[in-house]
Formats: sequence, structure tokens, C-alpha cells
Amino acid sequence: MTRRLIALAPWIALLAAALLPLLLQAYQVTVITYVMIAAVACIGLVLMTGIVGMVSFGHAAFVGLGAYVSGYLSTQLELSPWLGLAGAIVAASAAAALIGALTVRMSGHYLALSTLCFGISFYFLVGNSESLGRFNGLTGIPPVSIGAVELRGERQTYYLVLIALALVMAWCRQLLDSRTGRVLRSLRTGPVIAETFGANAQRYRLLAFVLAAVIGAIAGWLYAHVQRFLNPTPFGLNASIDYLFMTVIGGSGQLWGALLGAGLVTIIKHELQDVLKLVFGPTTRLEMLFFAAIMIVVLQKARKGLWPYLSQKLTPRAAPVAPVDAVVLRHRRVKPEHGLTVLSASHLQRTFGGLVAVDDVSFDVKSGEILGILGPNGAGKTTLFNLISGALPRSKGELSFLGQPLSRVSARGMCLRGMSRTFQHAALVQDMTALENVAIGATHLGRCGLVANSLRLNRVEERQLLGWAQHLLERVGLADKANELAGNLSLGHQRILEIARALASDPVLLLLDEPAAGLRANEKAVLADLLNSLRAEGLAIVLVEHDMDFVFRLADRLMVMNFGRRIAFGRPDEVRADAGVQEAYLGVAA
Amino acid sequence: MTADVALILLQDGIVSGAVYVLLATVLVLIFSVTRVIFVPQGDLIAFTALTLSAFETGNVPGTVWLLMFGATAAMLLELRQAVPQRDRARILRSLLRFGALPALIAIVAVFLVPKTAPLLWKMTVSCALVACLGPLIYRIVFQPLAASSPLVLLIAAIATHLGLNSVGLHLFGAEGVRTEGFSGQPFSIFGIIVTQQAAGVLASSVIAVVGLYLFFRLSLRGRALLATAYNRRGAELVGISTETAGRTVFFVAGLAAAVSGLLIGPTTTLYYDSGFILGLKGFVGAIVGGMAVYPLAAAGALLVGTVEAFASFWASAYRDVIVFLLIIPVLFWRSVSSVPAEDGLE
Amino acid sequence: MKKLAMALIAGAAFIAPPARAEVKIGVIVSATGPAASVGITQQRTVSILPKQLGGQDVRYILLDDASDTSTTVTNARKLITEEGVDAIVGPSLTPNSLALLDVVSESRTPMISLAGSASIVEPPVDRRRWVFKTPQSDAQMASVVLEHMKSKNVRTVGLIGFSDAYGEGWIKVMSALAEGAGIKVVASERYQRTDTSVLGQILKITTQNPEAVFIAASGTPAALPQTTLVERGFKGLVYQTHGVANNDFLRVGGKALEGTFVPSGPVLVAEQLPDDHPAKAAGLDFVKRYEAIPGAGARSTFAAYLWDAQLILNKAIAVASDIAKPGTVEFRVALRDAIENTRDVAGPNGVYNMSPSDHLGLDGRSRVMTQIVGGGWRLVQ
Repeated sequence: MTRRLIALAPWIALLAAALLPLLLQAYQVTVITYVMIAAVACIGLVLMTGIVGMVSFGHAAFVGLGAYVSGYLSTQLELSPWLGLAGAIVAASAAAALIGALTVRMSGHYLALSTLCFGISFYFLVGNSESLGRFNGLTGIPPVSIGAVELRGERQTYYLVLIALALVMAWCRQLLDSRTGRVLRSLRTGPVIAETFGANAQRYRLLAFVLAAVIGAIAGWLYAHVQRFLNPTPFGLNASIDYLFMTVIGGSGQLWGALLGAGLVTIIKHELQDVLKLVFGPTTRLEMLFFAAIMIVVLQKARKGLWPYLSQKLTPRAAPVAPVDAVVLRHRRVKPEHGLTVLSASHLQRTFGGLVAVDDVSFDVKSGEILGILGPNGAGKTTLFNLISGALPRSKGELSFLGQPLSRVSARGMCLRGMSRTFQHAALVQDMTALENVAIGATHLGRCGLVANSLRLNRVEERQLLGWAQHLLERVGLADKANELAGNLSLGHQRILEIARALASDPVLLLLDEPAAGLRANEKAVLADLLNSLRAEGLAIVLVEHDMDFVFRLADRLMVMNFGRRIAFGRPDEVRADAGVQEAYLGVAA
Repeated sequence: MTADVALILLQDGIVSGAVYVLLATVLVLIFSVTRVIFVPQGDLIAFTALTLSAFETGNVPGTVWLLMFGATAAMLLELRQAVPQRDRARILRSLLRFGALPALIAIVAVFLVPKTAPLLWKMTVSCALVACLGPLIYRIVFQPLAASSPLVLLIAAIATHLGLNSVGLHLFGAEGVRTEGFSGQPFSIFGIIVTQQAAGVLASSVIAVVGLYLFFRLSLRGRALLATAYNRRGAELVGISTETAGRTVFFVAGLAAAVSGLLIGPTTTLYYDSGFILGLKGFVGAIVGGMAVYPLAAAGALLVGTVEAFASFWASAYRDVIVFLLIIPVLFWRSVSSVPAEDGLE
Repeated sequence: MKKLAMALIAGAAFIAPPARAEVKIGVIVSATGPAASVGITQQRTVSILPKQLGGQDVRYILLDDASDTSTTVTNARKLITEEGVDAIVGPSLTPNSLALLDVVSESRTPMISLAGSASIVEPPVDRRRWVFKTPQSDAQMASVVLEHMKSKNVRTVGLIGFSDAYGEGWIKVMSALAEGAGIKVVASERYQRTDTSVLGQILKITTQNPEAVFIAASGTPAALPQTTLVERGFKGLVYQTHGVANNDFLRVGGKALEGTFVPSGPVLVAEQLPDDHPAKAAGLDFVKRYEAIPGAGARSTFAAYLWDAQLILNKAIAVASDIAKPGTVEFRVALRDAIENTRDVAGPNGVYNMSPSDHLGLDGRSRVMTQIVGGGWRLVQ
């Protein structure tokens, strides 16, 4: 019942919005039209800032770009506003691709500031451009027309904007629910998850940048033909800050937050004047003080924004989701013959400045085998791990995978070749469900691109990918947690979830970085069973672990490291008997 | 462009840059201790000049009302927490800190600064008024938001700026002021005419930055503050609360803003809304320094000042386009070269 | 929070039913935001506007657009659809006025803009049929400046102006008209209102050695280029625009402003006008009322534009109310026609004679040249 209601909620909202103009005064319709235009722009910002984590101080410039391109085409060249829309989208994509190519490589504050730089530049370039009307503005922009009907009145433009908002919203929801969307949603935690599972994080960041710009340009197009006048001020730095405001107040990671934030900010700004007039008289100039105060209080009460705050108040439990049928992947990778060497490393070395973290380490691991790596803290295990998995470049040494030498290793490349890993500190996307997290692991198995994922042409593939993820959740014993947010799972479950995600990429080699850390005894037993059965299927497993009992019981062979060097390598009983190990490691531990 | 024009522009850029340097330094400081990008720092600078100007024309500056209003709000917030806990010491502290002290400064400002008072006294009271705003802003806006994400803190900082801007328009009006400075004949160094005010700005900025450096390297309190920047929990274990650190650093920020305001007040016209653009330039410097490296932040701020001066000469209509587009390669270089050291070591 | 929300709802739903037929006039000014210095003077003038115009009771509905064009449009729509105003006075700025062309023409509401650019009312057909304005256009003011320059044998001029609509408008007409007047523009620079240094721009100008410098800026920000010019030892003539006409400008600029020429509406020097000047009586009347507003300070030409608009409406409402009842389309049509037929309305800024081809209607009597002498404004004969 609730599930159906929640699924219907957007349709109910749309119906209500469609009926609203019949009840409201013309002015209120106008204000809501502006709210919805701002909401469209904010959806772009939600994608870029809220979901991918790239803070933009230049979003209004893309809104302005869309507005001015269409404004120019429809006034100076007298083209139809619909061609203007096409022009706006093309121009915004091109500009964003160009700017983004440089910008998305930057991190954090650098990126934020460089968007600010572009935003300010846009303002002054337009303000000094004769054909765009300079600071005085561009007048006489025609309204959008459908057939012979010109959309001039408040109610007509309202419906135009409402339809645009609904389409953009539906598009983004669809996209975020797809393979592409899952990668985008993982990027706020950094590029590591995406890269580990075969996605080019930089390209996806660029994609988000371009999408945000295109959505912004659509908002700008709406603005141009509703307002029918353009000047640079609505696209300056203040406007960019306003959009950021709306997005954060609404809940920056939430599409619906964009609507809520845009509505709240716009309506407060418009209505505050009337309210304050009653208190302070007609010549008040304190609107912004009260506006700021309201915003600060909202932030203090609801740090993640209003939408998450309200939805938690209204529906404290997670919304139930339709269960997914488990399926096994149709085309699985051919597992190498049992006992074949999957990975071999010889004389690996990695230095950080003058410090040698990994020094002349050689080993190999075969399919159907568990190789344990042991060593005290600081022995270089994790560094070694990162060298193999491609997270770090090596300083010296050779690596080969399934008999092929690896000259340059990248995390992405290793994933595509059939290696998968977990992290010492569980690297899950906290606000995605367990199922979606696992599905990220299968990213490189999908083929549907942006277009298919936008237009819902991906249903067969989605059923495959999510079914496969569900299958793995069942396999690791987390099927009942499929729709829980990863962040709400216990530490033990998070570690198991990481293994499921690693398996989702259908690897031949699995690297596990301290999977048993933080697990209770019974959980460890379940984990051991799982690893045993994976080994029986012919998977090669490298296991870095502190828990010696666990490793000695599971591993077929062991490598012991200390001070970055390999001090022993062989069967568990051999290693246990090794004098060097006794002295350097076991002795210490005992 | 002749060489002497270039020299004059360079001097102008460096003097502007000196103010940005102080701003950038303070922004980095606040950020490293509290994770707040303190956008309103520029507003406080403008408010100082507007306050001093009100004293000069024999009026009571609006800052007094702002201070009283803010202090009352902060005191109420503090008491709302302290009274139910029956924490006598905290109640007393909040009454002193947010009640008595601001009231004292306000009384001095209203009654003891006649139009004929010496400039130095007017400056001192202006400084006190503005510096006290810093901790109040921290208490009202940022203390309840501690441990929020930097983005939320940034948005709160922008909201604070908008609020201060609005109050500024209400209290000071839309027109600008130019305060009195230390007058004196311009002198010449290497053939460049240097006004005493310009020399004063430069010298004071250097003194302030060095002072900040010494405070944070040599004094116990300063080192404790820096410790909170590196490890908040650790600092709390040895008895420095986040709140104390935040309050102190915002006081330092207020003081630095006041000094900056007194420095540039006589060289230019300042308005209730001058602060944002000043803050923005300081912000650019701070980010060039990665919000962490003080010398680089200073270099970035100087760069902005200088580029700005030259761009004003070359193509004034496109000045900001030039300044901000030239920043981008620097940002790119900084971003790429400052990839955090690999955390590959266990 | 809850109370505030309720207050918000109450505010949104607050629609006062009109007690009896009264004329409603919407006033849109930029009292906050970058143009606050202009808008505040107009905002406070609303309190001294007469409660009756043309024999009808008048209600003024004052809205601030925060210098933002989107807000101007929503404000105008609110005034038109929610309040049902009979006319709009304002906005204060050129872009904001241009933004309303479609809104007022489609709703058939006469509007009297308070902004400078001639492009707001020229040509007064189609979308501009419903739009009028009271401030002298940039070109009219510029011609006064150029005539004065010619009389002083100025052959070269450097321009510096705000990097916004105000500066842009002025510099555009100055550059266009200077050539015709035989004056060469040797530099054309821009700066921003809140800039802390304009040394670069001023150096660019002074290296060209112009005989005069023209500063296109308004309010106190106009002082900085001039003080910088003085610091750089510039000895030529300096011209400002009528946008600087307030006492704060004189205070901030101080001695550096001595001798500056400022073209203005006659109101700035109302006392010094010859007694037969048609704007003298209206100007003095306005000055007396405006300067009596608590905290208003000295007169402002921007505020006077609003007063001019009121005088025009006064006559037009008297005519229109004989034809139709306020609050109807017929009344607005009649009001528009009446405004277009404005004859010999003498306001603080000059005498208005409008026509279907001229929606401003000011002549040579609308501008004077003044000079800053001894910290005050002096009429140049």
C-alpha cells in the first residue's frame, strides 16, 4: 500500500501542480512559475554539487548561456524559440565540455573557485557585448509558441515550465537509477570506487558537469521566453550563490530538494517584503536580514537540508522497494583452469620520497587458491595491495596477470582484466542501498550508455545487473538487507557487502584487505565459509589479514612481510616453522 | 606602457594586494580551525570604516546597535543552554562575555567618543566594536553548526554575509565613506612617489601577518589553536574545546578585519556592500594557498592585486574577466600539484 | 518558525478589499541591492506624495525590486494582477524598466519609468506605447555637457564610467555625440561601484593627456575617480553626471571636487534659478517637502523624478476620471491617453509636454549646468 502510494507520489504531485493555476491568482501563478524555473536550474546543481560533490559557483552562467543563446537566436536571427532551445543545449554542452575538460580535474576548493571565475567572466563578457544588449539588456524576446498558439499569459507559461520541470525531473530520476547514475552517485566519496569497478571517474565527472550545464541552459531558455527580457544581473555571481543556497537548503543530494529549496527561497524572498511591511512600515530594507536568519535557522535544524529532514519526519522508515529477482549473469567470465597462475609479481618496489615502503617483493597466486599476506603494522601490506590493484604506480618490478605482462597498471584496467578488491576501511556509498552498492561492482558489465539510460531503454540490462547484485547478496547472506542504506548496516555487514560488490564485477582474482577486521566470531565463520566456496569455484584470492588464526586456517599459502620486505613465503606449516618469522613477527605477536 | 606607469601600477597592485594578504591569511586561519570559509570577513572591514566615519561626523555608529543586538542574541542562546543545566559558572561567564563586555563597549562608543576626540581613540573604539562582532557571529551562527560539512558551513557563511549586508544598508545607508588617515606628504623611493598611507598599509599588513604568525607559533594559546586545526579530538583531550578555539579565532578575525578597515578606509571609498568583493579577492588568495599554506595564500593575494591593477590599465571593461581567467591556470597547477600525499603508508 | 510561517501565509493571503473607488498607483524602486543609493531616495519620497491626485483618492503600493530584473517583473505582475493598479511609477533602473515593456503593454497599464536611458520610450509605439518616463534622457544631458565643453574649447576628453547600465548608457551617448561636437574621445574606461582602486584606469586616461575627463557614475562612488585624478595631478576640467547630486558625494570627495561641472535638472539649484524659470516654484516646493522628511538629508534629483511623475499623473488622473472609473481597463486607457497629452506640467526637473511621438517631453529648460564651488552647487550662467 505505502509502496504504491510512494510510487504514485510524483504523479499526484504533478496532478496537483497541473490543477494549481485554476485555484490561484495570476500573481501566485507567476511566482510559482519562477520557482519552477529555479527548480530546473537547481536540479542541474543537485546533480553536480549534491550528487557528484563538485561545488559550483558558476551555475547561473550556464543558465545565462542558455538564456542568451536562445534570446540572441530568436531576436537577432528571428529563429523559433524551439531552435533556440536546441541552440542553448548545444552551446551549453560545448561550453561545459570545454570548461569541464580543465575544471573537473581539479579538486575541492580549486574546482569551486574556478567555476566562480568562469561565472564572473560570463557576466562581464555579456555585459560588454553589443549584440547581447550590454548591461541594458536584450528586449523583445518572443514567447514560445506551439503551432499558432503563443504562450504569453501567466497560466500558459506556467504549464510550459511545469512540463519542462516534470521532464527534467523524470529524466534525472531515471538516469540516477541506472548504471550511469550509480557511478555518478559514488563519485561524492571520491574517484576510488568508480575507478576500482572499471569506470573512468574523470569522464563521469565531466558528464555530470555537462549535464548540469545542459539542465541549467534549459532553465535559462525557459527564463528567457517567460521573462522575454534578458540582462546580465540574473546570471551573475549572486544568482549562482542563490542557486547553491536553494540546493543546500532543499537537501543537496536530493532531486526533490531542488524543488523544495527553490520554492522556499523564492517565496520567502517575495513574500517577506509584504510581511515586514506590516511590522516595520513601507520603507523597510531588512528583508535580507530576515531571509538570512531563516536560512541559518533552517541549516542549524536540518543540516542535510529540508527534504531529508522532512522525509525522515514523515516516513521514518525507509520506503519499501519492490524486490528484485535474483539472476545469474548470462555471460560470465571464463574462469582459468584450476591451479593456473593468475597473478605473479617479481621484485616489486615502491618508494615514497626516501622511504622504501615495499622492497623487492615477489610472489604469485593461482586460481582456486587463497594466498594470505601477513605482517605487522607498517610492513607494507596495504602499499603492496595498492601496487597490485593499480591504485598506486610501482617504482620498480614486474607484474603479470594471467600470463600477460602488465606494463602500466590502473585500477580501472585491472578491473576490466578480472581483478576486484575490497578496502581496509569499507568504501561504500553510504546513502545508496546495499543492492545498489553491489550493482556498482557490475558497472563494467553493462553496455547501456547515457541515451539508453535516460530513455529507459535499459530495462533488460538493469534487470540483469540488479538481479545479479541480488544474487550475490543472497550468496553472502545479506539478501534481507538489500534495500537498507549501506550506511545503516553494521560494520561487519559493510565488510561482507564490499565482498559482494567485488564479486559483482565477476573477477578471477579477488583482493581482500583485512575483511575480518571488526567481525564477530560467528561472522568470521560465515566469511570463512564464503571464501572457501569461492575458492572451490576456482577464484584466486589474496587475503591481507591481521587475524592469524583466520589466515592460517584458510590460506593455502602465506607470505609474511616486515619492513616492506618479504621474509617468508610458503605453506602455512612451513611459514609457521620459519625461524625468521618466529623472530620477526610471531615472536612479537606472541 | 612606460616603465614608470608600470611601476606605479605595481605599487598600486601591491598595496591592494597587501590588504588581500591579510584577508587571505585570516581566511586560511579560520578555515583551518573551524572549516568555515568566512565570507563576511570583508563586510567587517567595510563596517570598521563606516563606524570610524560615523565617529568622525559626530554620530553614534550603527555598529553599536548591531553589537548590542548580536550580544543579546548570543547571551540568550548561551543562557538557554546554561540555565537548565544550572551551570553557574557558565551563566556568569555568558553574562560577562555577552552582556557586560559588549555593554561596556557600547557605553563607551555612545558617550565617550565626542566628535573632537583624537583620531587614535576613535580608531580604538571602532576596532573594539568590530572585533567583538567576530565571536558573536561564531556563537550565533557557527557554533551550533560545528561538525557540519564545509559546504553547509559555507552556505551559512554566505547567509551571514547577506544578513550583515542588509543590516549594513539599514544602519549606514547606501552611500560610501572615506575616513581620515594619517596624513603626510608623499615621499619618493627609487623615483616612485609613495603616499604615506600606502606605505602605512603595506607596513601594517606585514606587521599584522607577522604578528599572527608569532601568535600562532610562539604563544601557548596560539599553538593550542593550531592543534585544534590538526586534530580536534586530540585538542579536546588536552582541554581546548572547539568552542574556545572557534571564539578565539573569530575574535582574531574581527580584529584583523578592523585593522584592515582602518588601513584602507582613507585610501578609497567604502560602502556597506564593499565587503563582498574584498572578501572574494582574499578568498582567491586563500584558495591558491590550498586553504592551508600561508605563504602561498599571501602570494596568491598579491598576484590578484597586481593583475587587477594592470588589467585595469589594459582593458578596464574586461578587468575581472582577465583577473579571473588568469587565476584558472594557477588553480589548475595548484590542484594538480597538491594531490594529497598518498595515504599508502600503513 | 511556526509563527513566521503563519505570518507568511497571512501576508500572502492579505488582499485588502477596496473600500471605495480610489486610484491605485504601484511604485517600484530599487531600495536595496547595487542601486540602493538611487532607490532609497525615491522610496522615502513616497511618504510625501499627495494623498489625492486629480481630485481622486490615491493609494500608493510601494515595492522594492532589490535592483533585480526578475523581481521587478514579479513585482509588476503582483501590482497588476493582485492589486489591480491603474498605473506604475518606476522602476528606478534602465534594465528593470526595459524588462517591464511586455508586462505593462500586455496588461495595458501605463507606466512612468524613473530611469535614464532613452531606449525605454523610443520609439513610443507597440510595446512602448504604454511607457513614459520623467528623467532627462542620457543624450539630452550629454548634449549639455558637450556644449559646455565646446564653450571651454575642450578638444579631447577621457571617459570613465560604471561597468553597468548607468555607465554604459552615458558612455555610449557621449562617445556618439562627442564626434559631432568636434571633441575627440581619447580614452574610455570602466570601473565598478565598489572598486577600491581606479588607479589603472586613471593612468590610462592621464597618459593620453585629455583636456577634460567625464565621469559617468552615480552617488558617492563617483568620487573615487576624481580623487585619484587629483592625486595624479590632473589639471584639466572634470565633468560628472547628475547622478552625483547629493551631499554624501560632496562629503566623500571633499576638496578634490572643487570646480567640477555637473549637468543636472534645475531642482539641484532651485534657489539660484531666475524667478521666471518655470521649474523654480515646483523645485522649491519639492525641496521643502523632501528635506523635511526625517533623515532624508539634502535633495536628490532621483527623488525629484518621482515627484515629476506624480505631477504628471495629477493632471492625467483628473482627465481620465471623467471618462471612466478607476480600476477598469477603460480608466487605464484614458489615463494613458491623458499622460500622452500632458501639456505644460512644470516639475522640479523641467516642463513636460508629451505627445504620441515623445513620451518624455522635456525641452531645454530641463537641464542646467552647475559647478561645485565651496562645497556646494552653483548654477553656471
